[in-house]
Amino acid sequence: MNEALMISNVLLWVAVLAALVGLFALARQIGVLYERVAPMGALMMDTGPKVGEASPVFDLPALVGNTRVTIGRPGDKSTLLFFLSPTCPVCKKLLPILRSVNNTEKDWLRVILTSDGEQPEHLAFYEKADLKEFPYVLSSEPGIAYRVAKLPYAVLLNEHGRVVAKGLVNSREQLESLFTAKEMGVASVQEFIDHQHA
Amino acid sequence: MDTLALDPVLARACGAALAVVLLTGAWQKLRDLAVFEASVDIYRLLPEALVPLFARAFPVLEALAGVALLFDTTRSAGLLMSLAVLGVATAGVIANLLRGHTEIDCGCGGAEGHTTLTWALPVRNTLLLIVAVLGGQDGSGRELLWIDYLSVAGGTLALLGIYAAANQLMANHPRLIQLRN
Repeated sequence: MNEALMISNVLLWVAVLAALVGLFALARQIGVLYERVAPMGALMMDTGPKVGEASPVFDLPALVGNTRVTIGRPGDKSTLLFFLSPTCPVCKKLLPILRSVNNTEKDWLRVILTSDGEQPEHLAFYEKADLKEFPYVLSSEPGIAYRVAKLPYAVLLNEHGRVVAKGLVNSREQLESLFTAKEMGVASVQEFIDHQHA
Repeated sequence: MDTLALDPVLARACGAALAVVLLTGAWQKLRDLAVFEASVDIYRLLPEALVPLFARAFPVLEALAGVALLFDTTRSAGLLMSLAVLGVATAGVIANLLRGHTEIDCGCGGAEGHTTLTWALPVRNTLLLIVAVLGGQDGSGRELLWIDYLSVAGGTLALLGIYAAANQLMANHPRLIQLRN
């Protein structure tokens, strides 16, 4: 009798834990599903302009001052378009890195920050984080055009206004991988590795 | 407290599960301290000068609480520290919920670290507080058999599974709302 109870107990634990693993996996998959279908609709699987394509052109007012910021037109420098938000901790972590990139790569690169939302909040963020050295654009247009779903996101455009690399950026390494991808002429470092293995 | 709550199997399972939750939370914060510091700053509750100090002290206390809960001799200290850690975190969340500053990352581990502030967080933390109180008990002196250890292990894993699933569902929720609109 005791043995039977013990075996049933062990079996029940296994069943409970397996059910919980299943529950977690389902919740995770639902999360991924929500992410895929929002906010553009289920059929919108394309994620914005592809690498190699010309960037949409934007001519938007800067957050501070009366200047305008042009994105996507051919020029003498490449452009790093960095999507951020005042409420995103990882974006804040990357600001010093962007600052150093802006200094060391200024011969060939201009860094533009872009975000959307309420102006007072962004002005406070701009002042507090001391972002005067960057053009800062407050508009939802670039985010919609590039289908930015997660932050921080970066798009690297070459001097001809073509997309050379883009992606979610969580660290210095990922940011630098965009530049590496440009140098090597591949869409992403991952693609380069895949080609080598193929 | 009834006899069920004082049974050592329940107490040890709760204590071990909470210890894992606290230790994982502390590890996630310490692993990327700059991000946690930014999260604390975004809560807008502390003077700027105190943010770096708090961002370092909080995960250390969290880790100490987690370790202390695991051992008989330090259990009561572990209980006090976990109540302090959970209490401070919950107070921070409630303060921001009350003033409507909710579109921020909770910085609380959670699934993928993309959980915004909702009232589900204080509810979750209240449940964790109850688990902390149960896990902080010594339990009755009942002698444990080998099957009890199986129950403790199973119970710990089950609690952690429920916690992970709840966190994931909480992270999904804002996306569902977005989809409905």
